[in-house]
Amino acid sequence: MNPETATPRAPGAPAAAARGGRLPDHLIVAAIELVGAWLLAVFLLSRTTWLIVLVLALFGAALVVMRLRPAIEERIVAAFGRARITALVLGGAIVLAYPFLLGGNSYAIHILIIGQLYAVLALALNFQLGSANIPNFATGASYGIGAYTSALLAVTFGVSFWLTLPAAAAVATFFGFVIGFPSMRTRDTYLALVTIAFAVVVHQLMNNFEWTGGPNGLVGIPAPSLFGHSFNSPIEIFGYRAPGQANFYYLAVALMVLSIVSARRLHDSRVGLAWNALREDELAARCQGINVVWFKMLAFGVDAFLAAFAGTVYAFYVGYISPDNFTFLVSVTIMTMVIVGGMDNAFGVIVGAFLLTMLPEKLRVFNDYRLLFVSALVILFLILRPQGLFPQRLRVYGGRK
Amino acid sequence: MDPFIAQQLLNWLVLSSIYALIALGFSLLFGVLDVIHFSHGDISMVASFVALGSMQYLLASVLPPGSGLALLLACLLAIVATGLLGIVIDWLVIRRFRHAPAMMVLVATVALGAVVRELIRTLYPQGSNPKPFPALIEGSTWIGGVVVTSLGVFIIVTAIVLVSGVALLLRYTMLGARIRAVAEDRDVARLMAIRPNRIFAITFFIASAVGAVGAMFYASYAGVVRFDFGVQLGLIGFSAAAIGGLGSMPGAVLGSMLIAGIETLVQATLADGASYRLVFGFVAVILVLVLRPSGILGKPVFVKV
Repeated sequence: MNPETATPRAPGAPAAAARGGRLPDHLIVAAIELVGAWLLAVFLLSRTTWLIVLVLALFGAALVVMRLRPAIEERIVAAFGRARITALVLGGAIVLAYPFLLGGNSYAIHILIIGQLYAVLALALNFQLGSANIPNFATGASYGIGAYTSALLAVTFGVSFWLTLPAAAAVATFFGFVIGFPSMRTRDTYLALVTIAFAVVVHQLMNNFEWTGGPNGLVGIPAPSLFGHSFNSPIEIFGYRAPGQANFYYLAVALMVLSIVSARRLHDSRVGLAWNALREDELAARCQGINVVWFKMLAFGVDAFLAAFAGTVYAFYVGYISPDNFTFLVSVTIMTMVIVGGMDNAFGVIVGAFLLTMLPEKLRVFNDYRLLFVSALVILFLILRPQGLFPQRLRVYGGRK
Repeated sequence: MDPFIAQQLLNWLVLSSIYALIALGFSLLFGVLDVIHFSHGDISMVASFVALGSMQYLLASVLPPGSGLALLLACLLAIVATGLLGIVIDWLVIRRFRHAPAMMVLVATVALGAVVRELIRTLYPQGSNPKPFPALIEGSTWIGGVVVTSLGVFIIVTAIVLVSGVALLLRYTMLGARIRAVAEDRDVARLMAIRPNRIFAITFFIASAVGAVGAMFYASYAGVVRFDFGVQLGLIGFSAAAIGGLGSMPGAVLGSMLIAGIETLVQATLADGASYRLVFGFVAVILVLVLRPSGILGKPVFVKV
């Protein structure tokens, strides 16, 4: 754990001067990011159950404290707002150094990659469920369409990974608009059923078509390469070595950054505002001149677009996909992540995604009772804190000071 | 009539009857509580395992081996137990979401379904493996080149009796009037000295008990049961209730007949129809909802300010 404290502290000081934030702000930001990264590493690397439970208890305690003393939460948010450069530089450094900090533990990196892909999926779904309150159980299907499109292109036509990425996104977005089409007329439960039916149909077709490999799925998806560096080979920088998974870790990081940036930009734009208006009152939104149909379909399209990216990265990372990776229950998992994290709060959604990816992985001690435990936890959570871990924050108008 | 067509018509009726028993629960619960109880299929499927387990217990220790009474007793026990399980579920989980948005209940009950499935899998001995399920009634006859199984006839007759029984109960009894009153407006019903929570419990009992019958028919008709059969049955039952129009009893029956009809048709006409029946069934669901957004017999929703 030595390099962790040594490397990232350096960029904090110059950023303070440049940005003009006060010293306590920078200290708060640095402390939270470093402690968070350290706890995550402990959590990921621990093999003892009590350590895992301890980290979870600490996380829970932090949430309870923030709930009991909202002033603390406000202070933290304000600190992050004022010391943005520090937060970004330090956070970026931690994220980039993380595979090396994990000491080349490929299982821990694997969990992080899957967590990031689910974070992207949850962010994608958040555009509809969180921003516009459109129920969509087809995110898993879009994820699957993306994965299958790219895998088929790569396996049968030998197309490079970088070219399959846009192709998969285009195909999935097309289907996203297709599922969005019924949203013109149906709503609520009935719309939820349309998306469920779509997910079932997509899963069944993948399972039955011969050219998708049927229930056996597609095997032998080649690893991508960039400037001659194959993604299967390990990374070596300054003598530090990270396993081959690290390549995909960075790819997933890039995808997640793209998703976060687009989520933020959309949330702050007129589109995000229109979606929020739709969520509050569709009729009122229509009266304000918002093109309800277009914005609903757009939500479906954006969701499918990002989900297809995640699907492509997944397909090339694992090298093997089968219909069972993209069932209707996958969509439900993604939906649970959004609700647990907090609707329309990008940070909360990411936390929810990581939590629900890592919990089942780390709870392998419970072995056979894992799914039971997690599902019961989800129900309990929905009863106790229905607004999610981090509810949507009020919009700030008039620019950030 | 051509024997092949007659046979398919019979299959269609049996399948419709099974689906209708599940769809009825969805429709009833939605009509009265305004929730989609997504774990309905899984909870109904509990009945099959209760029946199997108690039948083995009865045959092993109480009744003489080979006694037909064991199956009957086990099924009755399963129906009552599942009905009570419905009440417990309402009390433990659904009640906490009375004032929550519809999406919350949907997600919570999906998670609940997983809990129920996992409980079956872990509690029942070797619960991960498929279990053979006995035919509730043995025997079959040939009528004009068509195999008519006693089980098929029994399923159709029971479904008709149960569905019309529930409909009559809702229409003509005092209890039915109370249920409808709560469905209409639970606050006003309260003013009329009706306890909504008690009505909800009764509704849950009826829906789960009827679902239990449907699930046992499903298992018996297939001859086998597995812990996750409830997922597909629940999905189809929900779809049937929704395309018929949620909250409408005739709609639930109509929706079941439509889905069962498409499944039978696909299975009978296409070469590998068995693997494509769900595809066609759910494409039909999408088409119906695009054309009739509130289901076939559902009341169109008018948005009021």
